[in-house]
Amino acid sequence: QAITVKGKITDASGTGLPGVTVLLKGTSVGTATDVGGNYALAVPNAATGVLLFSFVGYKAQEAAIGGRSTVGASLAPDTEALGEVVVVGYGTQRRQDVTGAIASVKAEDLRTQGSNTVQKSLQGRVAGVQIESAGGDPGSGVRILVRGAGSLNNNNPLYIVDGVQVDNINNLNPTDIASLDILKDASAAAIYGSRAANGVVLITTKGGKKGENRIDVGGYVGAQQIAHKIKVLNASEWAGVSNAAHDNAGLPRLDIAKSPETLGAGTDWQKEIYRVAPMQNYTAAASGGGDNFTYSLSGAYLDQQGIVKQTDYNRWNLRLKTDFTKGRFRVGETVILTKEYWRGMAGGWGGQGGNPVGSALKMIPVFGVYAPDAVGGYGGAYGPVVNVANPVAQLNLESPETNSNAAIINAFAEVSLFKGLKYRFNVGYTNTFGAYNDYTAPYALGDAKGQNALFNNADADLFQNRSQMNYFLQEHTLNYSTVVGKHSINALAGYTYQNTKYEILSGSKSGMPTGIQQLDAGITNIASGGNAYQSALLSYLGRLVYSYDDRYVITGTFRRDGSSRFGPAYKYGNFPSIALAWNVANEQFFKSALGVVSNFKLRGSYGILGNQEINDYRYIPLIASNTNYVIGQDQHLWSGAIQTTFATPNIKWETSKTFDVGTDLGFFDNKLNLTLDYFVRRNSDVLLQVPIPLTTGASGSPPYVNAGQITNKGIEAGLAYNHKVGDFTYQVTGTFTAINNNVDFLGTGTQQIFGGQPTHHGASATVTQAGGPIGAFYLIKTDGIFNSQDEVNAHSRDGKLIQPSAKPGDVRFVDANGDGQIDQNDRQYCGSPTPNFTYGFGTNMGWKNFDLSLFFQGTQGNKIYNGAREDLEGMNLEFNYSPATLNAWTPDNHTNFPRAVINDPNLNSQTSDRFLENGSYLRLRTLQLGYTLSKNLLTSAKISACRFYVSFDNLFTITQYTGFNPDLGRYNAGSPGGGILDRGVDFPHVAYPLARNSLLGVQVSF
Amino acid sequence: CTKNLDQVSPNSVVQTNFWKTDADFMSGLAATYKVFHDVNNGYFGVRGIETTNGRGDDFFIRNDVKDLYQLSTFTNNATTGTPGSLFTGFYTAIFRANQIIENAPLSALPDASKKQYIAEAQFLRGLNYYYLAMNFGSVPIITKVPVERADYFASQSPETAVWAQAVSDLQAAAAGLPVAYSANMVGRATKGAAIGFLGKAYVYQKNWAEAEKAFKQLALPSGVAQSPYAYDLMPNFEDNFVKTGDNNAESLFEIQNQNVGGSQPWAGENANESLGVTTAQEFAPTEVAGWFEVSPTDKVFNEFQKEKAVGGDLDPRMYATLVWDYPGATYYNRPFTDFKLVFGYKSMVRKYQNWREANEGIYISEINEKALRYADILLLYAETLTMQGRPAEAYPLVNRVRARAKLAALATGLGAPQMLAELQHQRMLEFFREGQRFYDLKRWGLLAQEIKNSDKVGREFFTAKNAYFPIPQGELNTNPNIKQNADW
Repeated sequence: QAITVKGKITDASGTGLPGVTVLLKGTSVGTATDVGGNYALAVPNAATGVLLFSFVGYKAQEAAIGGRSTVGASLAPDTEALGEVVVVGYGTQRRQDVTGAIASVKAEDLRTQGSNTVQKSLQGRVAGVQIESAGGDPGSGVRILVRGAGSLNNNNPLYIVDGVQVDNINNLNPTDIASLDILKDASAAAIYGSRAANGVVLITTKGGKKGENRIDVGGYVGAQQIAHKIKVLNASEWAGVSNAAHDNAGLPRLDIAKSPETLGAGTDWQKEIYRVAPMQNYTAAASGGGDNFTYSLSGAYLDQQGIVKQTDYNRWNLRLKTDFTKGRFRVGETVILTKEYWRGMAGGWGGQGGNPVGSALKMIPVFGVYAPDAVGGYGGAYGPVVNVANPVAQLNLESPETNSNAAIINAFAEVSLFKGLKYRFNVGYTNTFGAYNDYTAPYALGDAKGQNALFNNADADLFQNRSQMNYFLQEHTLNYSTVVGKHSINALAGYTYQNTKYEILSGSKSGMPTGIQQLDAGITNIASGGNAYQSALLSYLGRLVYSYDDRYVITGTFRRDGSSRFGPAYKYGNFPSIALAWNVANEQFFKSALGVVSNFKLRGSYGILGNQEINDYRYIPLIASNTNYVIGQDQHLWSGAIQTTFATPNIKWETSKTFDVGTDLGFFDNKLNLTLDYFVRRNSDVLLQVPIPLTTGASGSPPYVNAGQITNKGIEAGLAYNHKVGDFTYQVTGTFTAINNNVDFLGTGTQQIFGGQPTHHGASATVTQAGGPIGAFYLIKTDGIFNSQDEVNAHSRDGKLIQPSAKPGDVRFVDANGDGQIDQNDRQYCGSPTPNFTYGFGTNMGWKNFDLSLFFQGTQGNKIYNGAREDLEGMNLEFNYSPATLNAWTPDNHTNFPRAVINDPNLNSQTSDRFLENGSYLRLRTLQLGYTLSKNLLTSAKISACRFYVSFDNLFTITQYTGFNPDLGRYNAGSPGGGILDRGVDFPHVAYPLARNSLLGVQVSF
Repeated sequence: CTKNLDQVSPNSVVQTNFWKTDADFMSGLAATYKVFHDVNNGYFGVRGIETTNGRGDDFFIRNDVKDLYQLSTFTNNATTGTPGSLFTGFYTAIFRANQIIENAPLSALPDASKKQYIAEAQFLRGLNYYYLAMNFGSVPIITKVPVERADYFASQSPETAVWAQAVSDLQAAAAGLPVAYSANMVGRATKGAAIGFLGKAYVYQKNWAEAEKAFKQLALPSGVAQSPYAYDLMPNFEDNFVKTGDNNAESLFEIQNQNVGGSQPWAGENANESLGVTTAQEFAPTEVAGWFEVSPTDKVFNEFQKEKAVGGDLDPRMYATLVWDYPGATYYNRPFTDFKLVFGYKSMVRKYQNWREANEGIYISEINEKALRYADILLLYAETLTMQGRPAEAYPLVNRVRARAKLAALATGLGAPQMLAELQHQRMLEFFREGQRFYDLKRWGLLAQEIKNSDKVGREFFTAKNAYFPIPQGELNTNPNIKQNADW
């Protein structure tokens, strides 16, 4: 007999599930649950009917009615069939529908407690993505290269945080991140068109979950110390080498080196500037939601002092994300507020030491740190020595401080027009306000009385700037999805407009009373400046995903971008892509294999992406002002203005064509997962400031041209294995990336682009040219030491000595071009800064209440040019030297280290392969041990979870590289190529050594 | 929003709106003059002074900046940077001068203004070609602003053609420039400066007849200035090399150095750039916080002592040029014995140093570089006459220079070779550190001989090719139409 059956369908936690399909098995009689998870269904026969409950993301369940009037069920999540949801541009996709190469990292994978930034914790975890640190200084970022360096301009990926483009993600609080999806190939990234050529990093911050009200707090305290110092000589050793070098040059010895035996150890300059630095971090978050509303509110504070004294970083974060649904409307927003503070260090005071890190290496240990009677209170170098500044004075007398306040705001409104069709309006806005203050106190750094000072600053100086960047975005998108039988269609169409404005205002003065750091107090050297830039991008976009029977998926994407950076005829670029995927595992014929192979997908894609990251306004000739001179009997300023560069009216978009094939494999019920991709990424019309002849008179900033083609080919693999044995669970993960980078052609064909200055006066170490990788090392090769005058004489061509200035004990260089002399034209290919492969592997283990994670990461096959050695092993100038110089060649002791000689007539210390080193390394990136308190203990305290942990970063590094750190941390976003031409060149003037961190932390949830 | 794709720089004037007013052309001229002053690329900037003087038999540069050491020891090559910087500077100024020369006729300014701006720009262009010919020999001649990319790649002309371009520009400048300017415009190119350099250009080409014609316009046979010019030797030699001697009566053309503008002498071309120079700081000894980059050789130290002044003391030019351990010698307000000679040579440089101060202060010197002095005109005039077999006519000219140096009048009856030898001796003393010695030796054909017989470090590596710089590698790398100079 007919009866109405009622019931409540819940998830595992007992929360009602809305929208669950309830179907009388074998009929078309059915309904769906309401918002509370309740249903009511009239069935013809209550005795024999069977109800089928199904809901996306949950395992379907059957229940015999058996005459009952109430039939409830609790559905278990269906993790295997559904897989995860992947964030793609302008929407999400089920993993099995994904046709492109997308790497996803979830919050639980980001064991970020030891890292101050999100990206550092990604190092080695994502196949195809190379992450290199941008220095060890607190608050520093990283360089992310998605599938190698494709451009000579900007190689930074596009970062999108909750739908809004941001410049970098260093200022995000790592625990705010729910997922990080990296779009690597053209299929995945094409929806971002012109800005996607370097890959796209999509960050989704945590939102609240329905039915959950929770509070999470966490904190850690820790200490950092320098991981590796560079050894230099002490005072007495230095004096011995200095004297030998002067004797060999026939020059009088330095007064300060007169009696080495009485000098002792002298000042250990590195010891003077480094410290064990504390760091602390606190986070708190509240999240939850009801049927129509979710929220997540979080705050964080990080204070990280640097291992170099005085350097400091702190950051405040506040974030709110809500989502509200009413009928067919849905609105939501993300607001992220960040306040950051940096205390940096002096960049160099015009001398030859560079920043304090560089100065501490070169500063002669005979000199003293303090000079109480001197202006400023510090001692320094004096006498006929190289002007290297006292690093302690640099740290204490100049205080460069940056304050940055940033807001990232995104708001959206979505309306369901009819079944399957949604319109979404998105507004994004970011505002970054930066304030930089750089105060330098007066000083005279010389002998004990401040006399004979090589560094003088009579008046206090203050430089300030205030900059503001505004980014505005509006997006209109229509999204349609429908399922008709086995056909599933998802279509997207959109229009976006974005506008970026930047302005800066600066002022400086000198002569403030000591300690007063306001410009009004200054009296001399009055200067001010300011400028502004604006760019706009207007785009149309569309995407169609068609899937048949969960077996075949095809994705087509198109984006048309118009950019203000190009001239009228070249503003627009079109960026299409197409991709196919085949879920082999879903084929009938594959069913038999499912016991072993639980997932098998093949993917292939091809598409075109763009890059427009060049300076604004380059297509119109401009008049440069401030090309000034002096005029008049009174010699006043004569302000000048003239055209100094050529414009480029006809440049167009740089394009990146990417071909990708890949497979996703799962074994043993997806316990073992493997992802493999092969890709070819060809960047053409590379936007490049091709050097133009000096005779043009405008060679300083050559016009951009579309010159060149760069190809990156690579394979990338990701592997994960999860297993559980009794109380013991473990996961093993690994990634592997091998990329071959090649410049196919460049500029006029023989074009060479030089980069990578390794020392203050050193010649460039890298050349980028057709046939080799970007920033390849081209160096003069060395061939041992001349042990006798006969050997010097034998090194000749057509009766002429190739190295006429050489003496026994000097370096023999290879005359590669056979012209009978040694010069920069003898440079030969010596290696690449790009590793043959990079890798990462690690494990997470749990046993009862304990958890342990270990993560290793490394590179193989890359070279590093060690600029510090070029200076410290030179013995050509009067600064401190490396311990290797103690073994310098002498007539009685023939070693393989050249002789000591001031002025170095043979140029033993010139930029050459002597200082090129193997840059491969393997590092224990993270080691973390945690203990979770048992539930029983906590329930009484109304605490739902509590975990304590200790964590160590960079515990050890296995490498042959002798500099501070093989993960160089040289990054100069302002230079051409975003520093890509300097990539493997270690220049200690701009270095900040890596820290080893130890942390103790706690996480509590209520 | 489509119109927002048309963005124009808010920071600068667009070229099509420029070159309209007097102010535009004056700004353009400032930008052209200033290249000589540039810290890296300027012929009279710190690297320029080091490069032009460093190869002389009277100069030593230590191996602090490798490029300069290589140059001064004749172990330089096409990839040595500093000559490339000067080469870049010359063509930067030429590019700028060409903009003025091309745009002035198109403007609506009065003819007199146009004439002045064109003549001034031609002076600057001519002078840059003059220095190019002296230093590099065969180089491209560019007299137009490039329009298309293909125009960037110029070919070389023979050295004679480069000289011819310099001559024709300087002739045009001489015809169009005024004899003098009002006080607030002092420092700009004058008719006298154009004629003086024109004469020197002829000297370098050994065209003695034309050189004589040029010098005659500036000086009477007695050595007194020819009207309307009022050039004269300063009473004291040293007056030319101190701050208070800027733009004096002896000066035909000089590079203006003054700490105005910004505060950074290394800032490059922007508002932060101080328009003083750091050369004095580079040359000063370490005891006063200088960077001790250079030293005079003992050859020039000894040359000064060959002839005593009337009364038996040394040539006063020696005291103004060098400092050494003589009784009562002071340097930067300290006894010279406080200073240590670290290169094994006997003296240090005083000329152009602010050595009467305690030190070089904030590194920025304001002493103008004298690009052309009346003493140079007199001695070259004398040489021009001597080379034409009229040494007797050279006497009044040489004696004016000698008299200022408190030297006795020259004994009569010298033949041309003896007179030339006297002139060579005088020029070595008169122009130490003024970028003349190396080029004088070159035109006299004495480079190899005088460098080899000196005590200069690296003298053994001098070969004939060092008379010119190689075409810089930066040009060879970028310009398929150019060839390296012979010998390099």
